[in-house]
Amino acid sequence: MTVFERDGSEVEALLTDRYLERVLARATGGPSNGPVDPLLDPVLRDATEQLRRDLVRVHPSFRFEERLASRLADAAAAMRMPAAVGAEGGIVQIGALGGSLDRDDNAYLFDDDELDRRDLSRPLLIGGALTSAAISLAGAAWVAWRRGRPTRGSAMVRAARAVHEARVAAAHAGPFD
Amino acid sequence: MFVSTGPCNAMARPVFGRVRPAGEAGSTRVTHLDRDRALVEEARRDPSSFDALYRRYLAQVYSYAYYELGDHHDAEDATERTFLAALANLDRFEERARPADGEGASTFRVWLFRIARNVVANQRRGRRRHPQAPIETAALVADPLDIEASAAVHDEAAAAWRAVGRLPADRRRAVVLRFVEEMSTAEIAGVLGRSEGAVRVLIHRALRTVAHDLGRGGGRSR
Repeated sequence: MTVFERDGSEVEALLTDRYLERVLARATGGPSNGPVDPLLDPVLRDATEQLRRDLVRVHPSFRFEERLASRLADAAAAMRMPAAVGAEGGIVQIGALGGSLDRDDNAYLFDDDELDRRDLSRPLLIGGALTSAAISLAGAAWVAWRRGRPTRGSAMVRAARAVHEARVAAAHAGPFD
Repeated sequence: MFVSTGPCNAMARPVFGRVRPAGEAGSTRVTHLDRDRALVEEARRDPSSFDALYRRYLAQVYSYAYYELGDHHDAEDATERTFLAALANLDRFEERARPADGEGASTFRVWLFRIARNVVANQRRGRRRHPQAPIETAALVADPLDIEASAAVHDEAAAAWRAVGRLPADRRRAVVLRFVEEMSTAEIAGVLGRSEGAVRVLIHRALRTVAHDLGRGGGRSR
């Protein structure tokens, strides 16, 4: 396909791309001389120049850089550990902000379709929370029911309770009664 | 291990080469000579060597996340997830180019930015938050002693940041990768999973929109 067969927008996009290459090359000391294509809209040239000037790269803090470097070093050491001791250890999971870096859990990192499919509502998490809450409520209800209806217990329990009450009464009576 | 990364906007361009294999006269295939090949191989042998790749690309990944999320803490979070995932999955990185990535676009940097892109996208979806242009950073480009110039530059930069922030997501990403990360069209195509032609059109349309927003377009933005 020749340039002339493309539609106008694609041709303009191609010209813009060439101009961008030159502008970015200029910033890194590469070859950027030569006349600007007269077909390129000056409006695009100006916008390119402004974005080139204003969209600066932002650096993280030194503290963050070193903290993450340390965390990566720990993770790297954990990855090396099984081999170092003869590979008899299991698979070492690298914690990632409270989660694991299991490949299935992080499939979205490498698969764009997986990212689209991913349901962020976390039904498993919500289901677990609901189950936990239900168990807690059932436990509280059982304790309340037990407190409201104390049982007499077995003969052994009654005997033990009688001995305990006799001891308590004797202790309250004191040595001078 | 520490590797000097050079100046702030130093480009991490991959090296592409066309070779003609013996016995295949008339046909050429693209062989990708990744500039990070040695570091990647070393990191695969010894994970602690990943530090060199980390130092080389930290600012780029962080910068991309910052432009996408508009918040330093969110950007740090995304950066951390990206590098931890990259380290843990380094054996999955393939230097071989795939047709869908565009010509020779499979570099470590492209792979890393694909992870970053998905981490950021996941973060944005999870929080359902709109990015806000972090305009205070624009002051970095001005001379702090020249208050008038600083204010003018600040205003212009803030306007540019806002204009980029208002772009549709795919155009914004393409612009950030082109201007901030200084990626080639092929690399951006690899990161975004689009063709090179599509990336060129995305950037071209983004520039038209930005120019219009900045009062230079004459109503031609689309």
